[in-house]
Amino acid sequence: MDENSGIDTRTEADFLTHDAQVDEELLPQLVAHLREHRSRLREEWASRIQEAHLLHAMTPQEMAVETKSVYDNYVEVLETGSVEALQDYARDLSERIIPRGVETQEVVGIVLLLRDVLARSLFEKYQRDFGLLNRVLDAYEPAANRIANTVAVSFVDERERIIRQQQDAIRELSTPVLPVRERLLILPIIGVLDSERARQLTEQLLAGIRTHRAKVVVMDITGAPDVDETVANHLVQTVDASRLMGASVIITGLSPKIAQTLVTIGVDLSKMNTIGDLQGGLEEAERLLGYTVSRQVGSAG
Amino acid sequence: MDTGPALVSILRQGSYLIASVHTALDDSQMVRFQQDLIEQIGQHRSRGVIIDVAALDVLDSFGSKTLRNISEMARLRGATTVIVGIQPDVAFAMVALGMSTGSVPTALDLEEGLAYLHDRVHTGPSAVTGSSLS
Amino acid sequence: MSAGQPADALSESGSQSDVAALVPVIRRFVHSRVSNEAVADDIVQETLVRMLAAAGRVEPGMVEPYAIITARNLIASMWKEQERHRRNQHRIVDLRSPESPDEGLLQQEDKGAVAEALERLSERDRRTLMAHEVAGQDTQSLAGELGVTAGAVAAQLNRSRARLRVEYLLALEPGTALTDRCRPVLFALSGGDRRRQREVDAARHLLECDLCEKLSQPLLERGQRSDGEVRIRIRADADIVLARQTAREVAARLEFSRTDLTVIATAVSEIARNVVRFTDGGEVVVELLEEPRRGVRIVARDTGPGIADVEAALVDGYSTYHGLGLGLPGARRLMDEFAVVSEMGRGTTVTMTKWRQEG
Ligand SMILES: [Zn+2]
Repeated sequence: MDENSGIDTRTEADFLTHDAQVDEELLPQLVAHLREHRSRLREEWASRIQEAHLLHAMTPQEMAVETKSVYDNYVEVLETGSVEALQDYARDLSERIIPRGVETQEVVGIVLLLRDVLARSLFEKYQRDFGLLNRVLDAYEPAANRIANTVAVSFVDERERIIRQQQDAIRELSTPVLPVRERLLILPIIGVLDSERARQLTEQLLAGIRTHRAKVVVMDITGAPDVDETVANHLVQTVDASRLMGASVIITGLSPKIAQTLVTIGVDLSKMNTIGDLQGGLEEAERLLGYTVSRQVGSAG
Repeated sequence: MDTGPALVSILRQGSYLIASVHTALDDSQMVRFQQDLIEQIGQHRSRGVIIDVAALDVLDSFGSKTLRNISEMARLRGATTVIVGIQPDVAFAMVALGMSTGSVPTALDLEEGLAYLHDRVHTGPSAVTGSSLS
Repeated sequence: MSAGQPADALSESGSQSDVAALVPVIRRFVHSRVSNEAVADDIVQETLVRMLAAAGRVEPGMVEPYAIITARNLIASMWKEQERHRRNQHRIVDLRSPESPDEGLLQQEDKGAVAEALERLSERDRRTLMAHEVAGQDTQSLAGELGVTAGAVAAQLNRSRARLRVEYLLALEPGTALTDRCRPVLFALSGGDRRRQREVDAARHLLECDLCEKLSQPLLERGQRSDGEVRIRIRADADIVLARQTAREVAARLEFSRTDLTVIATAVSEIARNVVRFTDGGEVVVELLEEPRRGVRIVARDTGPGIADVEAALVDGYSTYHGLGLGLPGARRLMDEFAVVSEMGRGTTVTMTKWRQEG
């Protein structure tokens, strides 16, 4: 057996030479050319960006600064074969421009424009020697595509991260944990509960129990239309976990449909503290907390 | 192993013992903790035991079972046990792991644990609603 | 910082109480990003110190954002530090070590073993490697001589280095009997080639072969954590705690919620305990996944007797009855994906995955 078979040991820095099987001496030549004509090519690129109406959220000054950085990073990747520095820059750039409404296609667009501006200049330089031109473009294109890909991925990652953060913030607002009085929390669940929201709700409730030192929680699910078995199971687990933290949970507003789901997944409803409506739930809560409730005075022995 | 900082401390306060776990314990350390605590309950004829587990990173099946064992053995020696300080994430993981319903009382923290023992130990068992270590 | 002039002292105590009010905010921020409690506390403390130092310079409304940024920078520089350490790890047995291409390591390490190891390379591999490492000939001129591309030379050099490391380590253990699986496994480890490692089932061989297990240490340390994979040997009780804490730390890099991290740690605790209780030992491997989604995969392998009826062992009650605790069914409930493969007399492999909840 050939022990070399299937062993791929290339390092990150090797990718340029591997992906294209090009001769290495062309790249330094290419890089030197792009450095020499830096300001002309950069200006051409900037005017192409303007023509294409990309990045209009940026001022001309900002544009000048960023295009300079992108250009230099671009040439550096061609030279070193390492995309690390470009990746860092792209992430940083994305963090700055995403809040200003710059879209993914704009970012991809400007990088592709740069790719084409540079390709055209290489074409002009080498057009008289067709063989050499082909080799130059073979060396250039895979690297250029890799760069475009790196920038696009960095941007999309950053964008997703920001969107996630915003969604988290919205979710936190949509499941409030309300401290009504000392040691008592109300958790009104309103709207459709998917498993992601159920998970958030659990984390907030359990954290809320600790911060408010709650002994009783009234979970009102009047406003939740329906839950599937996974979410029902999650609610039950939330109740049990609350107990482990020393808090009792009273469930109010349990619809017959949800009650049925709970029974289906094997929940013993007699072990859950369920009360018809929120008012009744609050009264029960006060009783558990040891406050006197006027209605019960008569029945006490 | 014994030269490092204490993994657990057991303090006596009147007729109560307050045991605090200071760090993640492995199974053999858990078992030793159980032995030490049970021994001290006997020695001091304690009426109540509080186990503070706030520093535990995880309460898996073995950890929970050990706590249940302690509580049961303490009960046989006439002491009520309450577990305090179970962290929100730990509580959720315990439930998701699916530990069967036991009957060890739990409370939020030391203060609540003392209040619980105070009610329980001096007034005797009553129909207090169930916070329990499942 | 302490006793200044009276006027300063007043304003300083004012800013100190402002800073103290930040503690919960900073704590929440740092703890949601750093799983290790001690490290997180250090960062909180350091942030507070810096806030106190900067108190006079920060505008009143900006104190909180400033604190968050300070904490974020501290966390980032901590990651960078770890990253640097990780990047440099591969140099441990790497003959390319930049500070000392042919002096440092060759002098420190046994020259005889290196010579013997070189003997075991093919003529062509040896010549190329020596020309590159010792004579300093670059890949391009080597490519010209050999009639291949420079890239092919670079790949060949990497393979030769990987072989050389293995042969060197073997040369230090003269007279040990090798099975026919040993060399392929060690080559795959040395080259850091995951696909090849799976093909030769390297992980299981390491559990079964003491020699390779020992030799793999320096090879694995090189590649350790290279792309978010960590392995923990499981033999004794203390390893259970180590395994679950490691799993938590690795998973924390994907910003799992605190609850998910504890859920993962609990599942690891359960399966690692099975390894300690019912087998002679094994390992837990924690690996970060990017595809098809972000997540963490945990593989527990052991060289135990195997489980006769895996289906039954996954049912609640069976395990309790047979002394397995909540091990397998419990861990299965905690994770998103769960698979058990067991071979009687050979051992069991549990593979479980938790996916990152993407908002
Ligand atoms: Zn072997």
